[in-house]
Amino acid sequence: MGKDETLLCIEDLTIGFPTGKCVKRVVDHISLEVKKGEILGILGESGSGKTITALAVMGLLPAAARILRGRIQYRGRDLLTLEEGERRRLRGAEISMVYQDPMASFNPLLTVGAQVEEMLRLHAKHTQEEYRALTLKALKEVGLTEPLEVYHRYPHQLSGGMRQRAMLAMAIIAGPKLVLADEPTTALDVTTQGKILQLLRELNEKYGMSIVLISHDLRVIQNTCHRAIVMKDGRIVEAGMTQELFARPQTKYTRQLVAAAPRLFSDGGGLRVTCAKNTSYKEQREIFTIQNLNVFYPEKGSGLLGKKRRKQVIKNANISVLQGETLGIVGESGSGKSTLAKAIVGLNREIEGVIKFNDVAAKGKGELAARPQMVFQDPFGSLNPTKKIGWLLEEPLKLQTNLSKKERIARVREMIRQVGLTYEFLERYPSQLSGGQRQRAAIAAALIVNPKLVILDEPVSSLDVTIQAQILRLLKELQDKYSLTYLFISHDLNVVFQICNRVCVLYRGEIIEIKEAQELLYRPQHEYTKELLESAMVKMGNRLP
Amino acid sequence: MGKNGGSTYDFNFILGLLLTSLVLFIVFLGFFYTPYDPNKMEAALINKPPSLSHPLGTDNFGRDILSRVMKGAGTTYVIAAAIVCIGASLGILVGALTGYFGGWFDEVVMRLNDVLTSFPSILLALVFVSLFGPGSYNIVFALGLLFVPSYARLVRGEFIVLKERDFVNNAKLMGAGSLRIIFVHILPNTRRVLLPSLLIGFNNAVLAEAGLSYLGLGVQPPDASLGRMLSEAQGYLLDSPWYALAPGLMIVLTVLGFSLVSGGLENGQG
Repeated sequence: MGKDETLLCIEDLTIGFPTGKCVKRVVDHISLEVKKGEILGILGESGSGKTITALAVMGLLPAAARILRGRIQYRGRDLLTLEEGERRRLRGAEISMVYQDPMASFNPLLTVGAQVEEMLRLHAKHTQEEYRALTLKALKEVGLTEPLEVYHRYPHQLSGGMRQRAMLAMAIIAGPKLVLADEPTTALDVTTQGKILQLLRELNEKYGMSIVLISHDLRVIQNTCHRAIVMKDGRIVEAGMTQELFARPQTKYTRQLVAAAPRLFSDGGGLRVTCAKNTSYKEQREIFTIQNLNVFYPEKGSGLLGKKRRKQVIKNANISVLQGETLGIVGESGSGKSTLAKAIVGLNREIEGVIKFNDVAAKGKGELAARPQMVFQDPFGSLNPTKKIGWLLEEPLKLQTNLSKKERIARVREMIRQVGLTYEFLERYPSQLSGGQRQRAAIAAALIVNPKLVILDEPVSSLDVTIQAQILRLLKELQDKYSLTYLFISHDLNVVFQICNRVCVLYRGEIIEIKEAQELLYRPQHEYTKELLESAMVKMGNRLP
Repeated sequence: MGKNGGSTYDFNFILGLLLTSLVLFIVFLGFFYTPYDPNKMEAALINKPPSLSHPLGTDNFGRDILSRVMKGAGTTYVIAAAIVCIGASLGILVGALTGYFGGWFDEVVMRLNDVLTSFPSILLALVFVSLFGPGSYNIVFALGLLFVPSYARLVRGEFIVLKERDFVNNAKLMGAGSLRIIFVHILPNTRRVLLPSLLIGFNNAVLAEAGLSYLGLGVQPPDASLGRMLSEAQGYLLDSPWYALAPGLMIVLTVLGFSLVSGGLENGQG
């Protein structure tokens, strides 16, 4: 078998969802090839049809989907005309899949070992001992250093990264020739992301396994794949060798994607210069300070008379924020970022220590003239689904000002324009808006009462890259216009370095470093900061500067 | 907000709407017009089978059954609606407050709730009626209270989930007080589960009224209600089956119609 043997060949595939009389096409005349031993990347934003394509290959399309035309050939056999029994034999043994959310794809009631072993049982005949030995071997193969222990654990007892490794073990155990990985790292922390991608590359090299890597993240594709395909609205926009494709994109859309992806590291800090020009904050005074702050999370006591217990989430935090700056707070999930934010705005009252705004002590309670406002990560959750956008924008004015109805409406209309939406949106419900529009509305709702301090809790994490860039630009504009101070919480270092003047690193509830962004990037002190930066670099395919 | 367009409505939902509008039409008509005076007795017309002048026949006092069903269904509906109103408004209040605030208040109120649910409801209603005497007002009050726990549980559960959502945090940051958050921001979001359960509650109230009136504790003679009519008809079940058939059918149509509509609402119709 030559290296150039074509493993999978999709020709003119078109898939649609019939709705009423018309058919909504989600995959539109797609043709692609996967060669033996290569890693092919499929890059696209949500709704571009990349997952549906993968599901079609697996024969796992949702019941409502119809294949309208085209062929999917695997080593010369047309998958679409195969009988279900034949297909089932291929699934797992020849082609397997890794899903985005390993928590949802494991059965919570069975041990990890049993589930990985099940895959082998379905495709190969061995004795009991051999099954077990092979399963342990596969778990070891994917970098789980204590396979025996993992074997007996339940999915919820493993960390996100370990679960994704176990998922990979399940995908490779029957020795497939082709693995489809659908956003395998999206649900993971940066540090873990890099390791999983590394593992994928190793498996590819060691066994010559072909991999189709599906992602919305250009950096993931760029650093893992030999060849890449860019999809948009169900069509292939561009295809080519990865390095070539992203170095010299031919189409406007790819150029947009490349431009939107943070280039911080590859440019050696080019983007930092653009935001560092806002240095005037230095001469200004502190807008608020935190001294010796401990934040707790109340744990439910047992029973009616159970003693109230609480878990310490933030330990002895000291931060002072200057007027007009953007202070980034980075850390892994579970490091206490959101808890800290909630304590600052007064949503969490289980605190000890001092939070001072404008020299007025507001211990425990956030009673001050213009409360700090917050923009939440998920605009689907932070806008009340039963209210129109106009109502949502007017509500804070009703509660915090004594403007007349007329003045309120004027203010609402002004604000909606400021965030780049039109008046029509005032009459819509949140569900009628796209993710980006929704986040704009959420920003408008936060800014409408003229707060001085705005806390942005992962404001772009749930958005597509191109939308991310737009929202970041909007935030920057609004900051200049209203001289806002931002506290920017994110797990994505690239976004943080794009917008923040200073960065504070949170690790297991402790602030381990707080510095100018440039300083932190080039001279990280703490081991964890180094690790964090390094894993972001690995993902970027660059070395530390 | 779900899918639009006519093709997504399912058959059951349409059927439910048709049945519901049919019974509602009959009841509304009954408030203003009945073919005969529903309480007028006629010695010559005792237990007559359906005929052209009396389409559903006459009862043991020679009263027109059609007129009595129209009037009686109205009485039953008004009582059922009042029961649901009392039960739901108190239940929503209790559920919203306990769910939102939690803590010892929640514990105490919900234990009281448990006590109330642990008795058979018909027994409690009987105790209540024997204390305060029979009659429609007492029935409404007794059954209304008995309906509180189920609504309280439902709304409390919804509130416990919804109060953790970011839009509630957002409302707090806007400066909204607890009561405004509870009733303006959170309560409309319980619509999806509340609406169907109100309809089912109405059904249960119709059945409960029928049950109590059947035992002779509800609506007092000579006034008609569906349960009262069934109770009076049971002595003539073999001789004049049409007497029991008419109010029975009315109850079945009501319950079926409302159940189908409520099922449709739960599946995201409407």
